[in-house]
Amino acid sequence: MNIVVCVKQIPDPAEPGSLDPGTKTLKRATKLILDESDSYGVEMALQLADAAGGGEVTLVSMAPNNEVSGLRTALAMGAAKAILISDPALAGSDALGTAKVLAAAIKRVEGADLILTATESSDGYTGTVPEQLAELLDLPSVTFAKHIEVSDGVVKVQRQTEAGYDDVECPLPAVVSVTAGVVEPRYPSFKGIMAAKSKPVDQLTIADLGIDPSQVGWAGAGQEIVSVEQAPARESGEIFEDDGTGAEKIVAFLENLKVI
Amino acid sequence: MRFAFTDDQLLFRDTVRDFLQKECQPEQLRYAWVNDSGRIPEVWAGLAEMGVVGLTVPEAHGGLGMNEVDLVLLLEETGRVALPEPLVETTAVAAPLLAESAPVEFAAEWLSRIASGDAVVAVGLVGTPFVLDADSADLIVLERDDRLVAIAADKARLEPQDSVDGSRRLFAVDWAYHDAVVLAEGEAGWHAVNRAFDRGALGTSAQLLGLADRMLEMTVEYVKQRQQFGVPVGSFQAVKHHLADALLWLEFSRPVVYNAAYSVAHALETASRDVSMAKAFASDAALLVARKALQCHGAIGYTVEHDLHLWMKRSWALARSWGDAAFHRNRVGLSILGAEPR
Repeated sequence: MNIVVCVKQIPDPAEPGSLDPGTKTLKRATKLILDESDSYGVEMALQLADAAGGGEVTLVSMAPNNEVSGLRTALAMGAAKAILISDPALAGSDALGTAKVLAAAIKRVEGADLILTATESSDGYTGTVPEQLAELLDLPSVTFAKHIEVSDGVVKVQRQTEAGYDDVECPLPAVVSVTAGVVEPRYPSFKGIMAAKSKPVDQLTIADLGIDPSQVGWAGAGQEIVSVEQAPARESGEIFEDDGTGAEKIVAFLENLKVI
Repeated sequence: MRFAFTDDQLLFRDTVRDFLQKECQPEQLRYAWVNDSGRIPEVWAGLAEMGVVGLTVPEAHGGLGMNEVDLVLLLEETGRVALPEPLVETTAVAAPLLAESAPVEFAAEWLSRIASGDAVVAVGLVGTPFVLDADSADLIVLERDDRLVAIAADKARLEPQDSVDGSRRLFAVDWAYHDAVVLAEGEAGWHAVNRAFDRGALGTSAQLLGLADRMLEMTVEYVKQRQQFGVPVGSFQAVKHHLADALLWLEFSRPVVYNAAYSVAHALETASRDVSMAKAFASDAALLVARKALQCHGAIGYTVEHDLHLWMKRSWALARSWGDAAFHRNRVGLSILGAEPR
């Protein structure tokens, strides 16, 4: 079974990040690492490929400056190869622009049975790319998977909900987003790390994918960040000295909130 | 000579650091103080799977065939988390010793078991009379009269000994002559003992660096937090001086240890002297950092509820294992002057 995993390489959350005042977006000039929330998808894909008795796990990523260090981590875990799309024209891409690029790259992977993503990235948090990807690829989409099984061309997913989980089945190929924390991502072994250096990373530009530059980046973004403000500090509450009317004040306060 | 770590060596260090920070936390270490083995077996399995345990085992036997320069940063990381596992004994000392000295078939069997994480080897040389983790080891390498022997652990008679560090399970080991497999004897044995001792002292030095680094880090965190007279105690000059002294010793020791790793890895003539420099520096540095850390923590540092004592007691134990600073200074003196300095 061939599985594609979409992974994002993000600035290390352990290093304090900062916004570029010019573009009002996160500075990405530092070394990027594999988004932890994507490591669950990679682990899930490796387990599914094992369970199926073979097949390849291919990574697809879009990142500035041909950054591969995060991809190398996932390759060291056991993925077979990667496609990296890097292009100055992609700076400023919104979620839909990103999904267009990833979809075009996934179409180049022959015989992909399953496309896994995280539910959302740890630096952008839009949480919309998986569904956009499914729509662009014209594939069924299942979100918030906590458990995945594949048999006879059907993927069975336990889809996490607030109350528990739903059992969902859908035909392959499909796009499934994996909830963070549902599997234990393996640590790369030293042999894996060394082998990862010689695994193929196909580096592409949007021209290679046949994407019109006006559809992506700042030019194609359907959103604009107009300003960045500090979150307002929480206001302190009202303080009353209890002069015997404290209970009434509490009742009045709760009534005002319509909770009693 | 170019001496800088390669990108791979640094990446391995980061991978091991990441693993140990998650899998060897103070709670697990505290449990190792009170459990039967004094160890955290899951961590050993994880390190073996990663390739750390078999790092120095030749590739032909399933290891990575790497050397002391590759290992030194990783052992420093094990010190940083006060890992209670016999990695110095098994990976730094026993694996190269078996590969160099043991009878071919014996070496093949044990080296592949070490690389797969299946076998733990304990080591007791004359300089380290009590054997760490002899009770949970599969094989014990011992020295008597310039003769190195290996005993299957179930054939050895063990007598528990106390350690200041509750996770260090030490034993006096005795054995019957006919149960021992001779690894090296005579002049070859003398050289093998020296090399094994150097490797143990080097590995311990690296762990001391990591222990000291973490104690200093803990202390800096603490003095930024703890307030007195309305300000963090770290803002007082007297406290800053203690911490600056601690950092200075640590930073002076680190290159000495790395240099010793290079000397041993390349079998330089000065290897034993360089290792002794390293162990003397690292032992003194760790003891000094431990003392400064204790003082800057104030009374809380004296309690067993605070984590500092776990690192401090390991430092006390390791500073005196594989030769203390005074022993190693004498060894440096001997190698330079041909006599013990007076």
